[in-house]
Amino acid sequence: MAIVLRAVLRPFRWLPSRPRPAAEMLFRARSDGVGLLYPHHIPTSPLQKVLLAAGSAAMALYNPYRHDMVAVLGETTGHRTLKVLRDQMRRDPEGAQILQERPRISTSTLDLGKLQSLPEGSLGHEYLRFLDVNRVSPDTRAPTRFVDDEELAYVIQRYREVHDMLHTLLGMPTNILGEIVVKWFEAVQTGLPMCILGALFGPIQLSAQSLQVLISELIPWAIQNGRRAPCLLNLYYEQRLEQPLRALREELGITAPPIQVQGLA
Amino acid sequence: MAAPRSLALWNCCGRRWSRAMRGCQLLGLRSSWPGAPLSARLLSQEKRATETHFGFETVSEEEKGGKVYQVFESVAKKYDVMNDMMSLGIHRLWKDLLIWKMHPLPGTQLLDVAGGTGLAWVLGDAEELPFDDDKFDIYTIAFGIRNVTHIDQALQEAHRVLKPGGRFLCLEFSQVNNPLISRLYDLYSFQVIPVLGEVIAGDWKSYQYLVESIRRFPSQEEFKEMIEDAGFHKVTYESLTSGIVAIHSAFKL
Repeated sequence: MAIVLRAVLRPFRWLPSRPRPAAEMLFRARSDGVGLLYPHHIPTSPLQKVLLAAGSAAMALYNPYRHDMVAVLGETTGHRTLKVLRDQMRRDPEGAQILQERPRISTSTLDLGKLQSLPEGSLGHEYLRFLDVNRVSPDTRAPTRFVDDEELAYVIQRYREVHDMLHTLLGMPTNILGEIVVKWFEAVQTGLPMCILGALFGPIQLSAQSLQVLISELIPWAIQNGRRAPCLLNLYYEQRLEQPLRALREELGITAPPIQVQGLA
Repeated sequence: MAAPRSLALWNCCGRRWSRAMRGCQLLGLRSSWPGAPLSARLLSQEKRATETHFGFETVSEEEKGGKVYQVFESVAKKYDVMNDMMSLGIHRLWKDLLIWKMHPLPGTQLLDVAGGTGLAWVLGDAEELPFDDDKFDIYTIAFGIRNVTHIDQALQEAHRVLKPGGRFLCLEFSQVNNPLISRLYDLYSFQVIPVLGEVIAGDWKSYQYLVESIRRFPSQEEFKEMIEDAGFHKVTYESLTSGIVAIHSAFKL
């Protein structure tokens, strides 16, 4: 009986070993905060990460409005990729500065009044217009919870907060089609499993017509630009708000989309 | 205690019981978490603010009520769905068994505390019930007493509002008696339940609290003693599903 049991339980070796008698500290941070690497951190065992990844993927597919599930999927599957991203940020001067200073994009850190006063056609002005037209706010990005490294937690947070900047750069609205195009771009740029999964499975919900346009025109364009542009996590957007968008696009090698995707004025 | 759907289940499975339930005066008590009255009870003379547990955390007694309130505010929307998912529907069987034990008849004055979803309700505090003495024939509390800050006070209140001859019934998570099942249960509780909470309800922390609070609750024997301390007699308990839950029964004489 014991031999059978051991055979059954062997795959569970990679679970955190429990101190007897109770599962009191089973991979849980203490109430005094020790064990938490950053605010909102929830330490998880490998098994929990697998379950979370599977569950969040299924739920995100089932209910596309569960953006929190996409975030959880990104956090639980991205550890290795985040390391690669962080390392290449360190090698880039602007990226290294971002890692050092840890800027955050939110309505409290961005002076929206100042953005408003920037010249039309500048990154800051166009970003504000994008937020207005699509009725989104930078404050809806959930904080990172399931990444067990505090620098990598910042990297994924930065990726999330920079997402709207990418929309602005690419001229893509926040409808399903626009989001998928940005996901393809991000997949090529970052290699994050969540972006790849989103890029591959997102189109499931599209109409045949949209799908046709996506596959024939938009995806090739997104891939091309994604490969050509340097890693967009290395841009210190907060210091480039006055830069004309057109000039920035040229600098990055981002061309105009082949088709105007409706939604962005 | 009763989810609306389990009422329907009773209608299919036991016509006699459903008719009996409809005949009863069924009163559900939704617990409120008052700040002031609770503190007033605490400050008997020079009693200092004591500490208690909130899952595996340590908090002050004053804090606990508020924190538990927040948990249930958070889980309320998906309460029934989550109960079904976490227990694979088995919670309905447990509740059915409780009703079966109760054997309510038309005319029975029944108080169900921490009523959750599905009943006509009165807002109140389990530690200070808004009812006169000797009022009810049966007092039930299902999966509620674990969350009360002062369980002994809730038990005393239960004793007070029951008529002589009245019955106390409590359905609550308890201690698993079998070591293998205990290991599997712990695994499931700590590895799976918070994940379910996050995926279905977007709320990891409340479900982490849930599984921790279960571990904090006294064992079947300890809880039996607490019930006896509150003045009840003929205290018995029955463990269900290897002790994952237990139904404690007692009488006021």
